Amino acid sequence: MSPQPQAAVGAPLSRVDGRLKVTGQAEYAAEHDLKGVVHAVIVDAAIGRGRITAIDARAAEKHAGVLRVIHHGNAPKLPYRDNAGSNNPQGRRLRVFQDDRVFFHGQPVAVVVAGTLEAAQHGASLVKVRYDADKPSTDITKAEPGEPTPYARGDAEAGLSSSAVRLDLKYELARNHHNPMEPHATVAQWDGNRLTVWDKTQWVMGTHDEIAAVFDLPADAVRVINPFVGGGFGSGLRCWPHTIVAALAARVTRRPVKLVLSRKQMYFGTGFRPAYEYRLRLGSDRRGRLNAAIHDIDHETSSYETFSEAVLGAGQMMYSMPNVRQAYRQVPLDVNTPIWMRGPGFAPASFVIESAMDELATELGIDPIELRRRNEPAEDESTNEQFSTRRLSECYTVGAREFGWDRRNPEPRSTREGNLLIGLGMAAGAYDCGRYPGQARARLDADGTAVVEAATTDMGPGTYTSQTQVAADALGLTMRTVTFRLGDSEYPFTAPHGGSSTMASVGSAVVDACNKVRRQAIKLAVEDRESPLYGVNADDVVVRNGRLYDRNNTARGETYKSLLARHDRSRLEANGSYEGPGSDRSAYFAYSATFAEVSVDADLGLVRVRRMLGVYDAGRIISPKLADSQALGGIVGGIGQALLEHTVTDHRDGRIVNSSLADYLVPVNADVPDLKAIYLDGEDNAGNLLGVKGLGEVVQVGVAAAIGNAVFNATGRRIRQLPITAEALL
Amino acid sequence: MSSELSDSAVSPPTGAGESTSGPSRRTVIATGAAVGGVMVAGGTFLAGAEEAAATVAAPSSRVSLTVNGTRRTVTVDNRTSLLDLLREHLELTGSKKGCNAGACGACTVLVDGQRVNSCLTLAVRLEGAEVTTIEGLAKGDKLHPLQQAFVDEDAFQCGYCTPGQIMSGVGCIQEGHTNSPEEIREYMSGNVCRCGCYVKIVRAVEQTAARK
Repeated sequence: MSPQPQAAVGAPLSRVDGRLKVTGQAEYAAEHDLKGVVHAVIVDAAIGRGRITAIDARAAEKHAGVLRVIHHGNAPKLPYRDNAGSNNPQGRRLRVFQDDRVFFHGQPVAVVVAGTLEAAQHGASLVKVRYDADKPSTDITKAEPGEPTPYARGDAEAGLSSSAVRLDLKYELARNHHNPMEPHATVAQWDGNRLTVWDKTQWVMGTHDEIAAVFDLPADAVRVINPFVGGGFGSGLRCWPHTIVAALAARVTRRPVKLVLSRKQMYFGTGFRPAYEYRLRLGSDRRGRLNAAIHDIDHETSSYETFSEAVLGAGQMMYSMPNVRQAYRQVPLDVNTPIWMRGPGFAPASFVIESAMDELATELGIDPIELRRRNEPAEDESTNEQFSTRRLSECYTVGAREFGWDRRNPEPRSTREGNLLIGLGMAAGAYDCGRYPGQARARLDADGTAVVEAATTDMGPGTYTSQTQVAADALGLTMRTVTFRLGDSEYPFTAPHGGSSTMASVGSAVVDACNKVRRQAIKLAVEDRESPLYGVNADDVVVRNGRLYDRNNTARGETYKSLLARHDRSRLEANGSYEGPGSDRSAYFAYSATFAEVSVDADLGLVRVRRMLGVYDAGRIISPKLADSQALGGIVGGIGQALLEHTVTDHRDGRIVNSSLADYLVPVNADVPDLKAIYLDGEDNAGNLLGVKGLGEVVQVGVAAAIGNAVFNATGRRIRQLPITAEALL
Repeated sequence: MSSELSDSAVSPPTGAGESTSGPSRRTVIATGAAVGGVMVAGGTFLAGAEEAAATVAAPSSRVSLTVNGTRRTVTVDNRTSLLDLLREHLELTGSKKGCNAGACGACTVLVDGQRVNSCLTLAVRLEGAEVTTIEGLAKGDKLHPLQQAFVDEDAFQCGYCTPGQIMSGVGCIQEGHTNSPEEIREYMSGNVCRCGCYVKIVRAVEQTAARK
């Protein structure tokens, strides 16, 4: 942190954009109003794999209001340059309307552009597509995996066979869809050879670069804007085909085009958390000291790209043990490519590992928290790096006390309320928070207000608010006099808004930019004979509420406003940057301990969450009110992962059968009773200027396992699949 | 593009002013494909200048309704939902489209005082109706108490479901389904919040109801 007093950082402030959001004035991508905008609706492939043999667009073209039907038979060829540094996985990305191949059910095969939304929608239903269909392969249990990514330390096989206690457990985790409330949407407008898009994305720079690559445009010919994002959870981390379709349709029709995915299209037009097959073998001694683990991990990917996520981390760093072997394989299927979803890698892996730890605790008759304490590592045993901070043990202590863990009866199926079986469970979590290079710029105006800009995103965590807090303190201004702007590719570059990286990364760049501006002002003052601060050591000058003063003599000072006026300066500005963790070699993770109480109907198998608590070691909390919301939201996401969320595919034709919010179940208000979050007070200064770790991911990691472990405590039934359904419990 | 009494804006357009002369669609497509090659600077695409000499206009109707206290008379394509009328024609984008199937509640508005999913409500059925959307809730600069409670309690994150939550909350309070947190949870369960702000939404509704 800077030497500046902290007034905004750490204060439980309401959102700076709250008023816009509660009055309906916040503008999301599809809401950008352009004169003459026309509507585009995508026609989805009706087969799971094969080729298009004919497209008959005549009926659609005749439909009143339809302007154009674009498909591979008439679309211009697009350059699709490589896009190094993007979030595109290894492989060959889907190229819209460039050939007759169909790789998955729902792939865009045409787009109908019309003057009204109604005409475009109806027109899309009139496009007749004929196919030469192959039988798709969409079942992870029946397909051939790719080459494994290995990891090993020690001799896991020998360690396992020499262990006194051995578990061999197989888990199946369902595919999950992010389902942000705002559907993905793009408004595209060409002006000559310049393209502007308003796009739902978590990374304006990534979408910018992808569009420039696909259309082979110079970087400065593309602008991507998204001031508000209606949720993401990872779905906006890459530029999806529909964004290209919108830009293409605008190009062909020479009109600004608005394209909004339907909820159904969100299930194959954007990515998902892949389904997993995960086998874990675990060996320990009788006292619960882990000796060996073997992880065999498979998950879905598409036939054209190899998606990967950080699923190995938890198995390597979570608990101390000498012998670990992991084999991680992607299984190519005739599906669209997955994308990271909240707690990527760690959320699925932690369900497996934390469920297994609970099984081991039961097997050994050791309290689950005590078992975890006995295996607490002194360092990251995969890298031999020291942990920056690791206060997981404190999370257990605080959580056990606050949740009333001592009231848990370790004997399963021993607590009843009428027909309800009651159980308590807990799980640990960790997340490898991102720290990525990025930039920001700050400008102090002559009127004493400031504007700070970075090309980052606010998909809901409150980037607008928390970055304003950071900037206000670094500049010594009040919240009201600082405006933070984001969501525009013309602002300074930042990395994706994901991986719990934004505060450490963008925040550090914001602090740097604001520190520079403040120091410029201080330098002006202390070198100015007319300033009351003339001759004061610059290090002794602090700024608060826009007034610079000598901290050893607070009466001595002046305002930014008077300083700039006297110097006839309209503004002071500076660019700030963050280079990443640099030489910091510590293992930088955020931690969680999550506790759950559930009831299970003994006859019906219905699981209801009664209360949950999360305790987090997440470094300094910049914006406590918003961080609380984020934690509770992560728990709700975990409830969905644990009990409800399951994308179901009909393997006969590759169609997703529950592609709606009526059939893909997510938690609703009645599913969520009392939730509580506690952040341990503290900071973690590893390679960032703010003392923060990330919190968006770790708050979901461990939730599903805590619930599953509570279900076991309630029923004595161990369900090694997600979601944990009533059918599984009957 | 306000459409009050403006048929051209809301009726099924014939392409918003484009010429109906020029090459036929087929020749354009053929030419476009021929010159398409690789898209390069300069833009070699022919625009569809001829499109949609619409053969048959889609059925449309004239409807008068009151939206946030203002009488609006519009001609709408009969297929238009109230939600699309608000968002695409009346520049009232506060009501959100989350699922377009009545499963998420993001589009909730009040029609004659009752909360409804505007995505499932055809606009042509609303002759004489009084519609209140999120834009009509505040009195000038003064937020409705439930809007203020949402801000104070931080009952939202991304904000996309928020207008629907608030309109639904207003309905819930008017209906009197606020006697306990359990009852509020039940009667607010038609509004999905994917950011998971339910605890705080209940708190905001509860407090606002208590102050009534």
